[in-house]
Amino acid sequence: MNILLQLVVSGIAVGMIYGVIAFSYQLTFVTSKTLNFGQGEALMLGALVGLTTINFLIGQALGNWLAYLLMLPVVFVFGMAQGTVVEWLGVRRAVEAKSEAGWIMATIALGIIFRNLAENIWGRDALRFPSPLPEAALNIGPIRVQPMEIAIVLGALAMMLAVEVFNRRTIYGKAVVATANDKDAADLMGINTRRVITFSYALSSTTAALAGVLIAPVTLTGATMGAALGLKAFAVAIIGGLSSGMGVIVGGLILGITETLTGYYISTGYKDVPGLVLLLLVLSLKPSGLFGRAAIKKV
Amino acid sequence: MRLKWILTAAAVSFAMAGAAIAADPIKIGLSGPFTGGSSSMGVSMRDGVKLAVAEINKNGGVLGRPLVLVERDDEAKNEVSVQIAQELINKEEVIATLGFINTGVALASQRFYQEAEIPVINNVATGTAITQQFLPPKDKANYIFRTSANDTIQSAMIAEEAVKRQGFKKPAILADSTNYGQLGRQDLEKALATMGIKPVATEKFNIGDTDMTAQLLRAKEAGADVILTYAIGPELAQIANGMAKLGWKVPMIGSWTLSMASFIDTAGANGEGAMMPQTFIQLGDTPKRKAFIDAYQAAYKVDRIPSPVSAAQGYDSVYLLAAAITQAGSTDGKKVREALENLKTKVEGVVTIYDKPFSATDHEAITSNIPVFGVVKGGRVVAAHPEDIAGDKAVRVKPATN
Repeated sequence: MNILLQLVVSGIAVGMIYGVIAFSYQLTFVTSKTLNFGQGEALMLGALVGLTTINFLIGQALGNWLAYLLMLPVVFVFGMAQGTVVEWLGVRRAVEAKSEAGWIMATIALGIIFRNLAENIWGRDALRFPSPLPEAALNIGPIRVQPMEIAIVLGALAMMLAVEVFNRRTIYGKAVVATANDKDAADLMGINTRRVITFSYALSSTTAALAGVLIAPVTLTGATMGAALGLKAFAVAIIGGLSSGMGVIVGGLILGITETLTGYYISTGYKDVPGLVLLLLVLSLKPSGLFGRAAIKKV
Repeated sequence: MRLKWILTAAAVSFAMAGAAIAADPIKIGLSGPFTGGSSSMGVSMRDGVKLAVAEINKNGGVLGRPLVLVERDDEAKNEVSVQIAQELINKEEVIATLGFINTGVALASQRFYQEAEIPVINNVATGTAITQQFLPPKDKANYIFRTSANDTIQSAMIAEEAVKRQGFKKPAILADSTNYGQLGRQDLEKALATMGIKPVATEKFNIGDTDMTAQLLRAKEAGADVILTYAIGPELAQIANGMAKLGWKVPMIGSWTLSMASFIDTAGANGEGAMMPQTFIQLGDTPKRKAFIDAYQAAYKVDRIPSPVSAAQGYDSVYLLAAAITQAGSTDGKKVREALENLKTKVEGVVTIYDKPFSATDHEAITSNIPVFGVVKGGRVVAAHPEDIAGDKAVRVKPATN
């Protein structure tokens, strides 16, 4: 029983990592029906920019905790800028040209460029990210958790909540929701939907960048850290449903927990299989995802 | 008329003599990952090689000619390395190549050198198959040599250390899913089997995996008393950190990659005590080794050599090649290979003293008696059993074979 609990807890921490990246995929999809396939790279860049910033701040004789807090706004701004660049260079032209697949290739290409850039700036070694919290694990009943794992779960939830509140309470958020519901109607109502889409890309990359610095103390940082995570999170977004914020959390938890449970109860060699089988099942039985709304696409 | 001939002949011979005095350099290829995940090994190897070349050139070169390195970054990628091999052979016309950190890269690219009959000295890659790819009588002659401790030697040492020396009876093997990890796991299982031991758990993980809870819990529940590893730095660090998270501590003993900076630095305190076979430890226990370490630190302005083993093996590979060229009196690939297989002079390297290191049938300079166990202590690798390298055991040499 204790083992099962321990596995579930570790699975939740991993699952929340997937969930928060999947959430950032979902942000752009609702407004523009496009995705940034370089989202893993947005996460990686955020983490590496965060690493450089935090090391600089610690060098200024600040404590880990304070340095971490001061680093967050830098990463926030960087993420906004990075997302804007992706939308301008990769998505806008393709969408205006009504190209069905242009934005797919463009965002993948940008992702590769960002990765090469990062390799040349930071090298390809895995680097240690200073942890703002103590690294010793806490005993909670029979299970053990790293404080940073708890921070990941709480941080991911807080980020998603912040975006939800923004969308519901502010006029700008309402513009985003309106664009998500019906882009053409929003256009007619005088909403600058083009700007809303750019903004949703900026928000999406910022979410990924912040996810990067949130998980980095646990996972190590490096130019290749985004590749595997970005792919897993994409599977989560499909499983949970690309139109549902709730779905990606549940999807992430399902995948994270299945992975650790399969690793223990079946074989660590087959750890990744059930998640992918689940993905295939969802695609064949409910293509809009477990929590997705079925969309009627007029052709 | 006759005078003109004489003048021409004189001019030609002067020109040739002039060429001999200017001494066209001997070109040697150097291939390894100088960027990327294995770059700490690649860069240390390259710097060790460069140090030896600089020393040799300062003392007049080989056959009166200076050595020149043609360095290429293979990025640990097979396809890049294959291109480099062809460029080094056909365009640069190197007379030998040193290097290879990654077993897959070595296996993919040394084929071209074999076909061109140009010797290769592998100075870091450890895959057992590397020197056995072109064995006679299948091939006429084998051009592939090695100065690192191969995986057969390392896995036997790991099993010996864990079972015989420290008395562990229930090992768990944790290996990554790459060729390196899985071939190493096979070697380890074989080595354990010869001692009548079967691992209580054999677990696997992928490069980039961030959570080792399942693997570690399986090993723990199976009652493992030691963890044997075959993986590289970042994932090894995740194992050490994962154990700390679960509050479970058993010793880690594994292949030489536990000395990688990416393991030692990222595992921090959790990595203390990890043990691995090493052909060279940055200790300066003999005058030769001390001189090497001092020269390295002075030349590259570092205190800790990123990968001391790679640097030392790289350094020695140059001296072995230089001795072979001198003995052959030529840079012809065939003659250099023959000289390597029958070296008449003893070569004093930093790893060992090479007394007939190779023969026609044995291209491994390192035997199982040469490496010692290192242990991570205070963020550095030191000798695990100081008595192993004390007194006359400091330099261990390959036993003579007749």
